[in-house]
Amino acid sequence: MSEVVKLQLIGLSVVGVGIVILLFVRAQFARVIGFVAIVLGLFSLVALAVPQMASLPPAEEKFDIATVKTPTDMAAIGQKIFFSKGQCALCHSIGPSESARCPDLKGIGAKLSREFIFESLTQPQAYIYLDYRHEGLPKEYPARMPYINRNPIGLTKNEILSVIAFLQQMSGEPISVNPSELEVPGQAPAAPVKAGESDPVAVAKAH
Amino acid sequence: MIPRDEVSAMQFGGASIQRVLRTTGGLRGVLAGLMVAVGLLALPSFGVAADTPAAATEYRDIPGIGSRNIVWVIAQLHLLLAGFVLGVPIFAWLCEVVGWKSGEKRYDKLAKEFTKLLTSSYATTALFGGILLFLLIAFYPKLMNYLTDIFFPSFIFYCILFLLETATLYLYWYGWDAMQDGGKKTFHIFLGFLLNLFAFFIMIVPNSWATFQASPVVISEGTDLQRAWAATWNPTWWPVNIHRLIANVVLGGYICGAYAGIRYLAARNAEERDHYDWMGYVGNFIGVFGLLPLPFAGYWLMREIYQYNQQMGITLMGGFLSWLFILQAMLIGVLFLGSNYYFWLGITHRIPGSEMRYRKPIMTMLVILLLCLGVWMTPHSLVASLEEARKMGGTHHPLLGVFGVMSAKMTVANLMILVTFMSFIMYWRAGKQETATWAKVAKSVMGGVLVLAGIAVIVLGVWGYFVPAIIRINYFSTSQVLIVLFVMLTITPLTALLLKSAKTTTEMVWGRMPPRAGYALVLNAVMVILLMTLMGYARSSSRVHWHIYGVMRDSSQYAFSPALGYAAAFMALNTFLFCLLVAFIFWVATMGDKGKAGGQGEAAKGALPHGMPAMAGGSPHHSERG
Repeated sequence: MSEVVKLQLIGLSVVGVGIVILLFVRAQFARVIGFVAIVLGLFSLVALAVPQMASLPPAEEKFDIATVKTPTDMAAIGQKIFFSKGQCALCHSIGPSESARCPDLKGIGAKLSREFIFESLTQPQAYIYLDYRHEGLPKEYPARMPYINRNPIGLTKNEILSVIAFLQQMSGEPISVNPSELEVPGQAPAAPVKAGESDPVAVAKAH
Repeated sequence: MIPRDEVSAMQFGGASIQRVLRTTGGLRGVLAGLMVAVGLLALPSFGVAADTPAAATEYRDIPGIGSRNIVWVIAQLHLLLAGFVLGVPIFAWLCEVVGWKSGEKRYDKLAKEFTKLLTSSYATTALFGGILLFLLIAFYPKLMNYLTDIFFPSFIFYCILFLLETATLYLYWYGWDAMQDGGKKTFHIFLGFLLNLFAFFIMIVPNSWATFQASPVVISEGTDLQRAWAATWNPTWWPVNIHRLIANVVLGGYICGAYAGIRYLAARNAEERDHYDWMGYVGNFIGVFGLLPLPFAGYWLMREIYQYNQQMGITLMGGFLSWLFILQAMLIGVLFLGSNYYFWLGITHRIPGSEMRYRKPIMTMLVILLLCLGVWMTPHSLVASLEEARKMGGTHHPLLGVFGVMSAKMTVANLMILVTFMSFIMYWRAGKQETATWAKVAKSVMGGVLVLAGIAVIVLGVWGYFVPAIIRINYFSTSQVLIVLFVMLTITPLTALLLKSAKTTTEMVWGRMPPRAGYALVLNAVMVILLMTLMGYARSSSRVHWHIYGVMRDSSQYAFSPALGYAAAFMALNTFLFCLLVAFIFWVATMGDKGKAGGQGEAAKGALPHGMPAMAGGSPHHSERG
């Protein structure tokens, strides 16, 4: 018996007890408890009737450099990261979508160079200029794209390269990222750049 | 960003004391004394710490039940009790001020009886707060060390606030009878104001700890006070402060209403029915008074979350929590319906002969509310199989997809607020005839304002489909909110002015409400409590797998947010336990009165205002005028 079914049975029992109390008990306080039980039981049953989705922490893609032989291997890992730890699909779509809030990434690997994509992911503010849409002095225009190499997403350089490989593959382009560019842990600083290490005010500017 | 290792965290106590002494300047002497006293009391624990090697314990657990489940229940009960303890003084103080200004003693008695609840509920809240603190320290030592490091100065401030609040509460409660006349009464009112002021700060200080977890601001430079201040003034702090303040008023009002509803159902004579009917009216009135601006505060909070971090906003509104907002719509919808239903019952039962007169407008309002609720509860994307999706031509239903978007939801939420406001105005004006010479013009203006506002809200809602989201969010939705606020801020004083000189054509008769009115009041209170538990889960889940978003990751086995069904079972359990606790507090607080009344027999009963039980004063028919 699944957890949902068990909870549904409990919810139904609570509603049933409430109905019995209302039908057969005359004491007012008990009747109110019965009424509250019915309300709470119904609420639980409605909540159990909607899609049940838990939010799991993103799966860490294990980067066993030895097993990554070809650019296609990197693209396969990049695809997983795109839809999980990278959270790219939260805002972007691949192909037109009504619900996407940010640019459609279909064909992006063909439109942009890998260097530009890398910079867009790690320095989203780089090509955003000043905002003049108000009185007074212009302000720095806030990029909506988060720093993908910083927390809370915090992709490593290897993971970012894999995502670029995926974007290029998905655009029908030859993958220009090579497994030889991957950094072997311990030999180079592959850890994500932690927010606040360079910035005195760090985390509030997460995006 | 998580700078201290466990060893340095163990040394934190001494360093923090030095830091707080360094940063608090003029209060050094007082604080030093306080610190010495606290330090002496804490000596045994330092001894234990010194003997123990610096263990890197990040989490502790209780197998079977699970540490998170225990914390969930205790934290929720503490927060609900805190909402009650902070909401009741606002409610009581408002009643006292009304009684003071109008001279109607029944309001003063109602305020006093609710203040009486504070002493026992205050202790219960503190008890649960203490249990929660011990559990958090035990289960999440690393997180608590980190938070202590950031917020230590505010801990001291919080303790001082508690001392002030407790002293003020004692003076306010025990001085009630002694401060009834003249300047003393004014001073008592001032004490009530102070009580609420301290309570407000007691609420916003821990709010800063909780909101810091969702939208942290960490500065690596500056003094401890500067670090704590930066962390306190984080992007979601004020939106949550305002949202919770209003929500506490709503909770206090509806719980008062529910209590009155239960006592009304159990009333044994006409006087009791009169009295509890009136109390239910006051509770519902204050609940609705708070409920009307509450969605605006919620909107501001969501806007700030989006501004702070778009991913967090999307996780809440468009991610795995999106279905939660359908449940929220259902609960708010039932609350609006319940509140309006109670108003309508009041009009048709308390004002003799008005049943037929108001039937048509009530039916119209009911239909509008149900239609709005239907739109609000429409999900944006449906759970559909591939084949069903193909038939629909996409993941969105051709008709329902149109109603599932924010533009439609914002529009209907504003319309529901307008309808509820009109219910309230209708109830206010029922049984009275305006005598002012300008009454006709004023009524035309009010009608015009209402109709134009309704049209403007709908037009902006439809127009919202054809503009970019950022324009809709920044300008259209904000305009809708401002339009509805404008209606409230113009029609309320205008109606008050009109009714000042109005003559009463039909006296309101209390105690004639059918039993379902009592159940409606209970339902409203349950809806508010469920809503608070639901949004607590949303707030906590929006941090996903982070204790402190982007700063400290949750690496425990509970680093996931459970699905809605499982969470709803906990919400229902917590709501039920809270209701039982509140019922217990009411029972304990009124036990003495019943004992007194019962012990002195019928003669004593007669000595009370018209044989009323001591709870909350006399009936409106026989109210004493001060």
